[in-house]
Amino acid sequence: MNTICIVEDDEVLREELCTLVRNAGYAAEVLTDLAHPEQLFQVQADLILLDINLPGTNGELLLRELRRKTDIPVIMVTSRTSEVDEVLSMSYGADDYITKPYNPTILLLRISAVLKRTRRAEQRTAYRHLQVDPAKGSLTDGEQAWILTKNEMIIFQLLLDRQGEIVTRDALMTALWDNEEFVNDNALSVNVSRLRTKLAEAGCADAIETRKKQGYILL
Amino acid sequence: MSVSGYVKDRGGVYLLFGMAVGFLVLFMRLSGMQTTMICFSAGLPVLVMVGAEIWEYRRRSRFYRRVLRSLTELDRKYLLPELLETPDFCEGRLLCDVLRETDRSMYEHVAAYRNSAAEFREFIELWVHEIKLPVSSLLLMAHHDGTELNGKIREQLRRIDGYTDTVLYFARAENAEKDYLIKPVSLKRIVSDVAVRCREDLLLHGVGFRTEGLDLQVMTDGKWLAFMLGQLLANSLRYTAEGREAVITVSGEKAADRTVLHFRDNGIGIPPQDLPNIFARSFTGENGRIHAKSTGMGLYIVKNLCDRLGHGISVTSVQGEYTEFCITFADHDFYRF
Repeated sequence: MNTICIVEDDEVLREELCTLVRNAGYAAEVLTDLAHPEQLFQVQADLILLDINLPGTNGELLLRELRRKTDIPVIMVTSRTSEVDEVLSMSYGADDYITKPYNPTILLLRISAVLKRTRRAEQRTAYRHLQVDPAKGSLTDGEQAWILTKNEMIIFQLLLDRQGEIVTRDALMTALWDNEEFVNDNALSVNVSRLRTKLAEAGCADAIETRKKQGYILL
Repeated sequence: MSVSGYVKDRGGVYLLFGMAVGFLVLFMRLSGMQTTMICFSAGLPVLVMVGAEIWEYRRRSRFYRRVLRSLTELDRKYLLPELLETPDFCEGRLLCDVLRETDRSMYEHVAAYRNSAAEFREFIELWVHEIKLPVSSLLLMAHHDGTELNGKIREQLRRIDGYTDTVLYFARAENAEKDYLIKPVSLKRIVSDVAVRCREDLLLHGVGFRTEGLDLQVMTDGKWLAFMLGQLLANSLRYTAEGREAVITVSGEKAADRTVLHFRDNGIGIPPQDLPNIFARSFTGENGRIHAKSTGMGLYIVKNLCDRLGHGISVTSVQGEYTEFCITFADHDFYRF
């Protein structure tokens, strides 16, 4: 399980962020004593969510200090909406940048993307007897290959990453839109059912289960 | 300063001088002086007087001419006193002193307003950043339990967020020069960011979203462009037409010296008589009155931002069919420093 360290001075928001990442299957750690930001350098986490506006210090400066010591992935979180902040943060070595108020699903997507990119979370490439090749967009069982469309691949990957958990339609939709696939509710249902058909052809007939009003589970 | 004006001004002096010379001539004549002596005695003061007046006129007119020339050449007239050379006659010096004094007082006055405006702006920015904290918290709270009610709450929260953004950008638009960063930006990235952010609203209103040919780079400030597109999108959602599937199409077009971003919806359109005014401040038009509450600020701010960023914006619309906004980005090397 990956640990996310949350550095945020607003107490309510901090608690909500903790709940969000815990619900998404991460462990959350908070840094409450912001008077001693040096603590940040000893944090044993897989990713830091760092607020830019901190009392007595500045997230960008902290980030610069942090980068001298470690290459732990950092996502900058801020309510500032200036392009300058973004460029500064990125040049100081942030892995991503997100502005408040963020869409929670997008925040989770970004966290998982950064973790994958920095190889702190394993990228799952196998499902039952099938090998998944996201680059080719295909599933193979060693002999035969099934080609998935871009949309189907995005859906399948998200379900696979969270196998055994409910993935909401909202999360799937956000992931699709985040990849410039602006589909509507109907299209999502159609994509899921096509994915089901292909999985059934590949010998996994009961792979995706629908949970009414909640979402889908990959078994 | 014209010669006739100067002579008219000095008329009293000339009159007195003429009378004095006249008396002198009369007195000399009565005392039986020779005519040549009289001519000489009266002519000398007249010559001296004329010479002195010419000299006086030239030095004054030189000064005032310079003042007037500076005034016409100056873009900001109030800077005039900075350019004045102190003249060598007392009226001129007085004028300089007066101008400098009024100028200084005006500067103080303007500085006081500027400070209070800047303070107010800072406060607004701070406030907007602070209000985002509770909005973020509420969004997260509403996310944890995805019931229908929470979906509605999220929609309202996004509206609050949208309105606070308008405040922020309006407060900033005044001194945008300090606040923007022009760099190459991918249209695709910005448009899809906006789409993702507004996804729930689009789906809620049943509005489709399509993009075409956005693999283009433009020179702009990404944040401001995203904000502008968000405003256009909010408008399109507000004015969808009944009876057909609503769809928003965003497309890019590359011309020789510019890139054009088309933002088109198939909504109710804009009445032709309202078209010329839609970018005006506080203009609500027929649509704003009939269909939805409108502050008339959204498009005004968008236009304002486009002007400041050096982009062109235009609108075409057929009532009942579509509305299309075009944002034009120049491809000048001018930006590439």
